[in-house]
This record gives sequence, structure tokens and C-alpha cells, in this order.
Amino acid sequence: MSEILFLVKYGEIALKKRNRGAFLKRLKDSIHERLPGLRFEVTDTFQRVFVRCGEQDRQAIEGALSRTFGIVSFCETLRVPAEISAVEEAAESLARSYISAGRGMKFKAEVRRAEKSFPLTSYEIACRVGDLLLAKFPGLKVDVHEPDWVITIEMREWAYLYGPSTRGPYGLPGGSSGRGLLLLSGGIDSPVAGWMMGKRGMALDAVYFHSAPFTSEQAREKVVDLVRTLRGWIPGIRLHVVHFTPVLARIKERSKDEEVTLLLRACMMRFAARMAERTGALCLITGESLGQVASQTVESMAFTGSFADQPVFRPLVGMNKEEIIAIAERIDTFEISNRPFADCCTLFAPEHPLVHPDLVKMKRAYERLEIDRLLETALEETLSASAPARDAPARP
Amino acid sequence: MEAANDMIYLDWAASAPPEPAALDEARDVSLRYFANPSSPHAAGRRAEQKLLEARTRFAGALGVDAREILFTSGGTESNTSLLLSLLDRHRLGGVERQKTRIVTTEIEHASVYEQARILQAHGISCEFVRPGASGTVDPEAVAAAVDGHTVLVSVMLVNNETGAVQDLAAVVRAVREASRGGRRVLVHTDAVQALGKLPFSLRDLGVDAASFSGHKIGAPRGVGALYLRSGVSPGFLSVGGGQESGRRPGTENLPGICAMAAAAVLRRDHMAENLVAARAHARLLIEGLRKIPGAWTIPVTRDPDDERGWSPYIVSAAFPPLPAEVVVRTAEEKGYCISAGSACSSRKKDRTRVPESMGLPAETARCAVRISIGPSTTREQVQGFLSAMAEALPPLLSISRGRGA
Repeated sequence: MSEILFLVKYGEIALKKRNRGAFLKRLKDSIHERLPGLRFEVTDTFQRVFVRCGEQDRQAIEGALSRTFGIVSFCETLRVPAEISAVEEAAESLARSYISAGRGMKFKAEVRRAEKSFPLTSYEIACRVGDLLLAKFPGLKVDVHEPDWVITIEMREWAYLYGPSTRGPYGLPGGSSGRGLLLLSGGIDSPVAGWMMGKRGMALDAVYFHSAPFTSEQAREKVVDLVRTLRGWIPGIRLHVVHFTPVLARIKERSKDEEVTLLLRACMMRFAARMAERTGALCLITGESLGQVASQTVESMAFTGSFADQPVFRPLVGMNKEEIIAIAERIDTFEISNRPFADCCTLFAPEHPLVHPDLVKMKRAYERLEIDRLLETALEETLSASAPARDAPARP
Repeated sequence: MEAANDMIYLDWAASAPPEPAALDEARDVSLRYFANPSSPHAAGRRAEQKLLEARTRFAGALGVDAREILFTSGGTESNTSLLLSLLDRHRLGGVERQKTRIVTTEIEHASVYEQARILQAHGISCEFVRPGASGTVDPEAVAAAVDGHTVLVSVMLVNNETGAVQDLAAVVRAVREASRGGRRVLVHTDAVQALGKLPFSLRDLGVDAASFSGHKIGAPRGVGALYLRSGVSPGFLSVGGGQESGRRPGTENLPGICAMAAAAVLRRDHMAENLVAARAHARLLIEGLRKIPGAWTIPVTRDPDDERGWSPYIVSAAFPPLPAEVVVRTAEEKGYCISAGSACSSRKKDRTRVPESMGLPAETARCAVRISIGPSTTREQVQGFLSAMAEALPPLLSISRGRGA
């Protein structure tokens, strides 16, 4: 079984001078975390992380690296003894693979020489490699301005050769920015909001409000699938499903139609705030975008936000729907969100919802619900139901 | 979702539970008559013999001649192949499509309705007759839509969502009267929900063509039939191996065909006693549902004593403002399988087409659920369903009504 080596470049972590060690450890853990059961080795030297694995795991590793926050780019690398003959041989095999893959006939060789004791200068190495490739592959041309592909050669205690690299998702490694609680619906926005906070290194719990029989089992499965997809980016994400029908019933019973949506959002926020206290989340995260719907005007958000004791992060607040969809497509949640199972049936969406609610009046309407006990009961039920499944591994 | 064998099944109009005798026959035929009925060798001839025998049995159950039965893959294919045969230029005898017209109704199953829309898209004029509030079309209204260009009239026998029985004999009489002296109009009926359930005679109805499906009477999926009165020969679009007198090419599904013949005979033999039981169940259902505050039957005027006007095997109801899917989910939680309107609506809008065509407002139409029963439905099951609904729905109704504005 032959081994392959990936060279992983990370960005922001390197800047955090004093915490660098801790951040780097998070990054390494974070790579390990998403590939349980796979045999590979992560090491770091010279501000580079190397992942060594068996060839058969190439795709799994590539998939994981492209979803690991903190990674700027990665590429498969050949590591050979720091001798010119070995470098030439490796360069030839890389060039052969690019040419036969049809990547073009214009190339460039870039050399970095960290190990200054090597007898040849960077320029001399580049010339040697260039001459060799030109001699071996008729039709090949050097083009330093617009090459089709570049071979990079790093001379260190070993020589590393690699070609074009794959972009990583940037950001900070998982778990380096505390824990947040994501209010997750089956829609397009909230998974994107969770992903954006995950990108900044936040560990996540997600809470979904289920109102059977008004919302369908398929709607709940949709949320489970969304969490499964997000787990590819945020391996530790946990889902809590709340049975919210009694709360919904109380709201319908005691409030005016046009207040229903806002009061429901307020109750969700209150519930999430209490849940965050219990699960150690330091903030709430929603997929709200300013003005998208009636409950997402600044007045409505001021009202619903007032029920959280923690900061409420709304990473999509200034984004347009198209921008949100572009991310949803990139992170593979769009298709799931787009399944046609409404997560809250039209029954509870008033024809004329309040758009600019009066904060004082709405607070009074909330008081009239006398809903704290119902929320507490729902919280206890939810926590005891999700406790055993909490660390269930992701299904492939 | 798992196969819900512990659930009480009240969705027979979508698909009937298999009839064991029919499945036994399918298995036996699969094992013993596996050869291609078109093959010239002895095994092939035996299969051909078996096919002829099944055709005779099925035709016998319908009281028609074996040569008038064409086997298909199901009700949808029967409807589709007949309607789309109008796209065949030869069939139109050189007449331009713009001068060709068909007449059908707003309450047809999607497999007729959508085909009519395709014909429309190809330039054939289509008239969709609206039913009255009771869900039946007026024969005179159908006849009034027939003009000198009309080549086909298609009116279903039993509506699959409401159970309304159309007065087809009167429709045929009125159409014949309206087209007297003019072009011969082919009258077709989708009789899928009538087969094996209600007594009818294709001869007495006077139709030229009728569609049937096997799985609605306990045969497996994937087999159906098209009755074509002797002398009627539409130009079919699909051509190939020459099976079914060249009108429906493709190696015959002999096990399915035999199973359907067996099921059709079985249903015919027990039709009278099944009907007596079904009528009692339907009456219980209608009266029981009406006792739930806020419940409607569709139509509200459905008379449980009107045996000619309604198929007792299908009852439609609504619990506004609860959307149909909420009622279906609630029934499921209580252990009962029912459906929201028709099981086969391709487009979202199409889900409420039938109740809306009867004049129901859209808000009520989207609340329509269908409870459909069959020969093995028991009184206890119906009673159980009613008490489950009477218990579960009122709290949901009060939640969804709220206190208003």
C-alpha cells in the first residue's frame, strides 16, 4: 500500500502568535475529528501541516481538508531526499501526470530554498529542472507569466514538490471560539448562519422546534439531514428537537392573529436562551436577514432579541437572498432546504403580520401568554431526550 | 417510512391490499408459463393459450367480448394511450388539429386531465366541463360542449376523490343526440374506481372505450386494461412487436394479467355482499364525521341514502381550517392510513382542482381528505377511526382557529 502526503497551509492561525500552539492543536484535532476510524498522521513543521495517509484514502482526506476551517489551501506533495537527482526525478513524474491529464503545455518551476546549505541556488535548481523537463517532453514550453501549471519545489531537510493546490474554507479551526446555539429551521438561511459561525471556529448546538402534527415528520427528517451535512464542516454539532405544539397552542389561544408569528419567535428565543444556559452556549445564532420577512424587521428583531440573555448573532443580517443561496449551494445544504416540506404550515402565518411592532404592547402580549412554565417543561423534555444521542457519530 | 402493516388501511382508492388468490395465480403463472406468448414453440403457445384464457375471464367479468380487451400497464396507460392517439395524423383523417375538439371534465383523474392539456398544447381544442356542487357533471352540459369538430368525449364513471358516480348512460345518450348526423364521437370513460366495486354494464352505458386498473382491485401494480368496443380502432401512437393486435406492443405481462383476471372475477362474484357492507360503512362514516364539530363532508349535501349517486367506497371530508396533510398526519399517529385528496396529483395546484371545481373555496379545498374502504374493511375499523378523529381533531381545530384578530 503506497502512501501519499498532503501539505496543508493555514492562514489566520499563524498570526495568533502567542496562541499559535493551541490553535494548531485545534486544527490537527479538527482534521482527526472528521475522519474517525481512518489511519493517517498529522504533523507540523515550518508553519506547515502535513497529513500522511494511504493512497486508498485520498478522496476521504481531500473531502475532509476542503471542509476543515482554518485551512487556506492544501495539495498532494512528493517528499524526496534533498538531492538534485531525486528532485529531478520527482519533477518529471509530476510533469508527466499534468501533461497526461491535459492540463496544458506551458509551465513554470518555482523554487524556495529554506535549507541554505544546499549547494545549488534557487535559480540554478529551477534551471536544472526546467531543462530536464523541456528535454523529456517535446512541445513543453516555459512561460513564467501565464503558465498552465506550476511546479513548486521547497528545499528543506527534505525536498517537497507540488503542483496547483485546492482552496480550503479559511476561517478558524473548530472549537477555538467557544460554543453557540443555532436556531435551526428547515429553511435555506439558518444552516448557512450556523456554517458561518462554524467558520469562525465556533462549536455548535442546534435547536429545532417541531410542531407535530402541524409540521410533518419529513420536515423533521429534513432538519436531521441538514445537521448531518453541517457535520461535514462542524463535526461536533448536536441537534435538539423541541416539541413545541403546546407552546403554539397557548399562543393561538391567547393572542391576536397578527401577533402570532412574533410571539412564536419570542418564545423560541426565550427557550433557546434558557437552553443555552444549560448546554454552555455563550450566544444564540439565527439566520435572520434584515427585512426579509415581517418578523425580521429591525423592530421585530429588537422585540424577539430582547428575550435572549446572551448576544444574538445574525451573520446573514446584511446579506441578500442570492448571496445566502450561493453559500447554501456551496456547502450542500441548499438542495435539502429546498425539499418541499413546509416546516410551519400556512395555518399559523397570519395574513397581515405585524411589520413594525410596538415593543411595549408586544411585551404585554407576551406576558399574557404566561408561558414560562410551558417553556421549562419543553426544555426538560428536550434535554432528557437528546442526552443519550448527544454524541452519536455522523452517518456516512 | 416503513411498510405499515400494523396500521388500519383506509386508502383503498389509492391502491388495494393484494388479494392472496390473485398473487398465488401470478406466482403460479410466472413459474409455469414464463415463455413469451409470441414465441412459436410449444412453451410459447402454452403461454399464448393462458393469455387468451385470462382475456376471456377478464372480459367475462365485464360482460364484454375478449377481443374488446387490450391489456396495458395500468389505468394511466389506458387513459394516456387513448387520449394521445389523437395526435396520430392518420386517425384525424387529414383534418387539421385546430379543427379537432375533445370534451372532458374538470373532475377527471390527472392521467386524463393532464393528457387533455398536452393535446391542448398541440393545438387540439379541449373543453373541460365543470361539475355542479354535488361533484357530478350535467349530461346536457357535456352534450352542449360537443360540436361538429368533436372526436372524443371522456367522462369518468366514479370520481376518485369524492366517490361521485356520474350518470354516464345519460351522458352517452346526450352526446349521441348532439352529434347525430355528424362525425362519430368516441366516448371514453375512466372506470378505474368502478371496477369490481359497482355494478355497471359497458354495453348498457354505451361507451366506446373504458380504462381499468389491476391494483385497485387487489392485483399487483403494473397491469390494467383498455376496453375498446368492437369496431372502434383508434390509431395508437406506440408501435413495435405487434402484440395485442398491434395496438399495444410489448411482451405481455402474463402473471399480472392473470392476477387481474382472477381479482376481477373474485370482486364480481362478491360484489353484492361487499356493496351491502360498504354502504353500511359509508353511512357510519358520513354520519360519524358529521358529528365532529366543524367537520364537513364533501359535498356537504352528500346523502347516505343515495345509492346510485355515490360509491360507498370513497368518502371525502374536510376539517377547515386544518390543512389536509395535518389531518392525514393525525390519522397516521392514531394508526390509520388515509389520504389528502387524490394520491396522484402531479402539480401542487392540481391537488385542489376537483373540490374547487365543485365551488368550494380554496381554503376549504386544501383541507379535503379522502377515506376509502374495501371488502375487508370492518365496522370496528370504521368506528375506531371515527372515535380517533373525534378525539384528536377538536383540540387541533381549536388551536388552529385561535382567538382571531
